[in-house]
Amino acid sequence: MNGFGIDLGSRQAKFAAIENEELLWLKDFPTIPFYRQFGSVTDGTLQLDFAAMGISGEIRLDETPVIVTGYGRNTLALADATIVPEIQAHIAGARWQTGLEDFTLLDLCGQDSKVARLENGILTDFVMNDKCAASSGRYLENMATVLEVSLEELSQHRANPVPLDATCGIFGESELIGKIIEGNSVESLCAGVNQTLIKRVMPMLHRFPRDTIVLTGGVAKNAAFRQMLQDAASADIVVPEHPQHNGAIGCALLAAKKRN
Amino acid sequence: MIGFTTTIPLEIPLAAGRKLVDLNNIFITDEAPQSFIEEAEIAGFPRNICGWIKGIYGVTLRHKIPEIIAVTEGDCSNTQALMEVLSLKGIRTVPFSYPYDRSEDSIRLELEKLCRHFGTTLTDAEAVRQRLNTVRLKVHEIDRLTWEENLVSGGENHYFQVCTSDMNSDVDLFEEEIDQFLEEVRQRQPRREKLRLAYIGVPPIFSDIYSILEELDGRVVFNETQRQFSMPYNTPDLISQYRSYTYPYDIFTRLEDIEKEIAHRRIDGIIHYVQSFCFRQIEYMIVRQKLKLPVLTLEGDRPGVMDARTRIRIEGFLEMIRAQRA
Repeated sequence: MNGFGIDLGSRQAKFAAIENEELLWLKDFPTIPFYRQFGSVTDGTLQLDFAAMGISGEIRLDETPVIVTGYGRNTLALADATIVPEIQAHIAGARWQTGLEDFTLLDLCGQDSKVARLENGILTDFVMNDKCAASSGRYLENMATVLEVSLEELSQHRANPVPLDATCGIFGESELIGKIIEGNSVESLCAGVNQTLIKRVMPMLHRFPRDTIVLTGGVAKNAAFRQMLQDAASADIVVPEHPQHNGAIGCALLAAKKRN
Repeated sequence: MIGFTTTIPLEIPLAAGRKLVDLNNIFITDEAPQSFIEEAEIAGFPRNICGWIKGIYGVTLRHKIPEIIAVTEGDCSNTQALMEVLSLKGIRTVPFSYPYDRSEDSIRLELEKLCRHFGTTLTDAEAVRQRLNTVRLKVHEIDRLTWEENLVSGGENHYFQVCTSDMNSDVDLFEEEIDQFLEEVRQRQPRREKLRLAYIGVPPIFSDIYSILEELDGRVVFNETQRQFSMPYNTPDLISQYRSYTYPYDIFTRLEDIEKEIAHRRIDGIIHYVQSFCFRQIEYMIVRQKLKLPVLTLEGDRPGVMDARTRIRIEGFLEMIRAQRA
């Protein structure tokens, strides 16, 4: 069984290869440098230089089934590549990575937040953020930049969160600057940023059962957020081994299945 | 020329020999609908007010519409303020209401007020209704050909039904267009889209929603509000016709019609469209609780093609229905 999966996200382009239900390798590149370095657009379609990406030696692109998802999915010129909706890719990845068939998926990526419910392995309902990315990883990145801390540093603090109430991710920056001027500690400002993400995500989660929440996307790496989510949602939080590559893994699995 | 802000009892001004236009239709079919919104915002309309209201404002001024009938109850309360702003610009505004109690007496009163304004009578309007009903029947046939014989696309169904609000400002010409379409449609092979969808809520501000759904192998076979514009029930007179018309009244009256049609038309899933900043967004809670099929609520703000995010949500939704059916 062979499958190659590509998830062209807003912040990262992610790749996964599967053989005989084993994960062969994962790769990722930040989106903008990735397109600059490896992509070219001809007649509105995207060509990728797999050799320069160091992938062509590892996988036979002419033989291996490929499935693509993410924002770039419809423009990618790749013979025989199949496009799948993001929800489908993420569900497939989360089922395989966790072995669970009944759960609520919370996928917090670069700009997307998705909540999906799986019952007996079947998608029964989902919601996505719209209009604003203030409930996404990009919000954390922006706020970390304002605070001049790394994402790793940001993800360590959850005590004494400073309340932040702006409903817009960008106006939130000026609010944060105001809180810095008031003399709050960096630790409690970081906790406030993490707390804000919880406040944004909880209304999306409310409509779904919270028995088990599978948390994927880059935000799953944020330890403070994970703990705060567990406290707020009173649910078992399961983070798969490769949360950020979950969509690419899902695509690779669906590709492998297609071959059979 | 008299403009109006949503479907009104057009029989009455027509009986008085007036020419009518649905301002929403001019707005959305313009080559640059966005420009009407920009004009309204420059004039001072807030950003967080529905695009249709701003579009109507821009259209009324640019097309120099001298008089409008504004529906101030049963459609949108923003219309009241719109009417006030337009009167300030020297435009004659005639208020009309679909009373929330939906009683025969209060609807009769509203219709009679409109008759008095235009110097006509309910009897004359009834004669016009008979004429319009011959056209409406043909549009009902287009609707039947959509869901029963699968010969008509969701977008075509939307177009003909939505045009019944003002009969494209020329009843005879519109009837000719319908006749030609019906003739052409009957030569077609039935369409093969796998998922049968209902579209509920106000007409979409997106220009490509129907074609995107069909590209993804789904087709709208029930356009709720647009069908209401075509007065789908066989009613004995003007008063009962505008009492049966569900759109301007409470959500439960609308849901009765929706539930009946989704069963009848074998619907797999429901696209619920809401306009940004519209009070009808709140009704989503009731829609979701009452309807037993999967519901996807889409929100549109400004005219134009659909954004990438809305498309992703539609793809996920159709995929979910497919998986559930399998």
